[in-house]
Amino acid sequence: MPDPVRVLLAKPTHDCHDRGVRYVAKKMRDAGFEVIFTNFLLPSEIVDTAVEEDVQVVGVSSSSGGHLPVFEDLIAGLKENGLDDVVLIGGGVIPRDDEETLKASGVAAIFGPGTTAEDAIALIRERVAGSSVGRAPVEGAA
Amino acid sequence: MFNDRTLATSKAMAEAREADYQRIVEKFGNQAPAQARHPETHSGLPIKTAYFPHDVAHIDYEAIGAPGQYPFTRGNLAAQYQLMNWANQPVIGYGLPEDTRARMDLLAEQGMVGYFGQRFYNLVYDLVSHEGLDPDHPAARGRIGQCGMAVYSKSDMARLFDGMDLTKMNVVHITYYQVIPALAQYIAYAEDQGVGPGDLRGNSMNWYHQSAYVGMSAFPPDQGLKLAAALINFCAGHMPRWNTTNFFGYGVEEAGGSAIQEIGLMLAFGIELVRACEAMGLSADQALPRFGFQIAQANDFFEEVCKIRALRRVWATTMAEKFGAKDPRSMHVRIHTHTSGACLTARQPLVNLIRTTLHAFGAALSGTQAMEVSAYDEALSIPTKEAATLALRVQQVIQEETNITAVSDPLAGSYYVEALTDQMCNAALEFVERIETQGGYIAAQRSGWIRREIEGSAERWREMVNAGQRKVVGLNCYETDEEPRENIFKVDAEVERVAVERLEALRKSRDSAAHGKAMASFGKAAADFAAATVEDLNASALIEAAIEAARADATTGELMGAMKETMGWAAPHEY
Repeated sequence: MPDPVRVLLAKPTHDCHDRGVRYVAKKMRDAGFEVIFTNFLLPSEIVDTAVEEDVQVVGVSSSSGGHLPVFEDLIAGLKENGLDDVVLIGGGVIPRDDEETLKASGVAAIFGPGTTAEDAIALIRERVAGSSVGRAPVEGAA
Repeated sequence: MFNDRTLATSKAMAEAREADYQRIVEKFGNQAPAQARHPETHSGLPIKTAYFPHDVAHIDYEAIGAPGQYPFTRGNLAAQYQLMNWANQPVIGYGLPEDTRARMDLLAEQGMVGYFGQRFYNLVYDLVSHEGLDPDHPAARGRIGQCGMAVYSKSDMARLFDGMDLTKMNVVHITYYQVIPALAQYIAYAEDQGVGPGDLRGNSMNWYHQSAYVGMSAFPPDQGLKLAAALINFCAGHMPRWNTTNFFGYGVEEAGGSAIQEIGLMLAFGIELVRACEAMGLSADQALPRFGFQIAQANDFFEEVCKIRALRRVWATTMAEKFGAKDPRSMHVRIHTHTSGACLTARQPLVNLIRTTLHAFGAALSGTQAMEVSAYDEALSIPTKEAATLALRVQQVIQEETNITAVSDPLAGSYYVEALTDQMCNAALEFVERIETQGGYIAAQRSGWIRREIEGSAERWREMVNAGQRKVVGLNCYETDEEPRENIFKVDAEVERVAVERLEALRKSRDSAAHGKAMASFGKAAADFAAATVEDLNASALIEAAIEAARADATTGELMGAMKETMGWAAPHEY
């Protein structure tokens, strides 16, 4: 059996809207992923944790604005540490214009209102090599 | 409440009706919705499909009572809205202080009003302030002026309130844990205007308890409880018109908690807080009269109405029976309604206007004291001017056009409303008992029990929406293909530059000797405070030192920095 996919989910410390991301964390664990959930003040903290925990996916949840500089620093930091192949995803309240900007800079997907935890799980299974034969299959997953 | 003949008739009629009802349900066979067979409220309380006199016969009439009489189920005062509408308290705050001021003035011009024509301003600080930082901190980028106003010092207060008479208005400072720095800066600014703290009206949130269910970084729970009790103690002596504490029920509902959890947690924390105040030497009647509640008004119309009536009853009876409160104001639940943001959708955003209207209508029928109606575009961005004005109009239409303001507690006496109110009282008291047997609110927070309860409820809701058992129009039914909305509000990028420049200028221009001395005293006061138990706390020393530092132009980041260093600061799930 392949090792489970390792996912880091991060939320800015100032952002009280953590209901969604904590639900996503639970659903990802149910799907067989290993999920690390942290709050961060600076994007460099996400990079450090991604290196330490050797994750394949980093997800940032943001529902109070300020996401653009976070992703900018995060992408640069991951690159500097040779983690270019980490799948980067976002979620929360991220306006459509910003979604386009973020995708152009290398973010794989933004899961905003109307998307489901299963959508994110399906994307991860598709993007992370070997994960499609991971543990507990999830309904609706590719 | 009823004589034997009425009760006998009631039961006979209910039985006949139930047989008839079951016959109809059977006709639908497997097609009958679950809610038709086993109806329940959104909290999961079982309800009936019709109510009769015998469903309320067990309730003492005294427990329902009269508006303005103990246990205040029907409202705090004999007069509800006959002489005075509820206060309009929309949340305001974004960008620079001048931007926020422009929105305050706009809404005031549009008729936003408090009690008897007084100006009420419900002002929210930005994400940098909430984090206890200054705008030049590396983490501030992208957070300055977002979701609140960029106000970090006495001089920013001057930009915000320039030319206003502070004695003629009521200001709510919506902070998270930067309660003391924000209040200290407001007091220091007021003094410069010749207004003493005793003449200030408004609100501090004193919201440390919300770290049990809200995921932002916070002080440790025991330090938070001391900070809350210290502010109550300070205000009892120095700020008799200031509302010291806001019970953040809204946050429970937004985090996914049920109506029962919302009022149960508020009561459980109330018990913990009054105990702490008593340990500091305050009587219940000294601590309680200046408490307020921010309560959500969400989708289950009758449950949300009954929630408020139930909260009024259990709060009054608990404060009287447990703590010997005698002053009616100590037993009053004064409510600021916040219509639920979590019930709003990013899809078909105009539909949110209908939702918020129903929420606001329910709040008005249950006798709220003040109201914030969410703007229809809140799931997308900071509200535009148009959306903020429409949200105010929702309140004004209900206040001016419906005539529901003529009668106090107009839903009283409905068999359903009284039965459900009573049921919710019992459910909330049981919930409180579960917390008390664990050692109280702080113990239940430390063990993670509160957070697990709320997350369980949030998950239940999400699974029901996913399965289509809980309908959300536009989300899991009646969907449309729609174009993305164009009119998204964005904070001017210049805000960040200006806020940082102002801070740098302040640091250069202030009297550095006076500032250094005041900050050293504040640091010492914070260290003493952190080390003290609630019994031997010098309640006023920390707040007085904060005011002295704010006079010397100390910033939010500086004051919070000293508090974090001495008291601790971490993500709540790490405690």
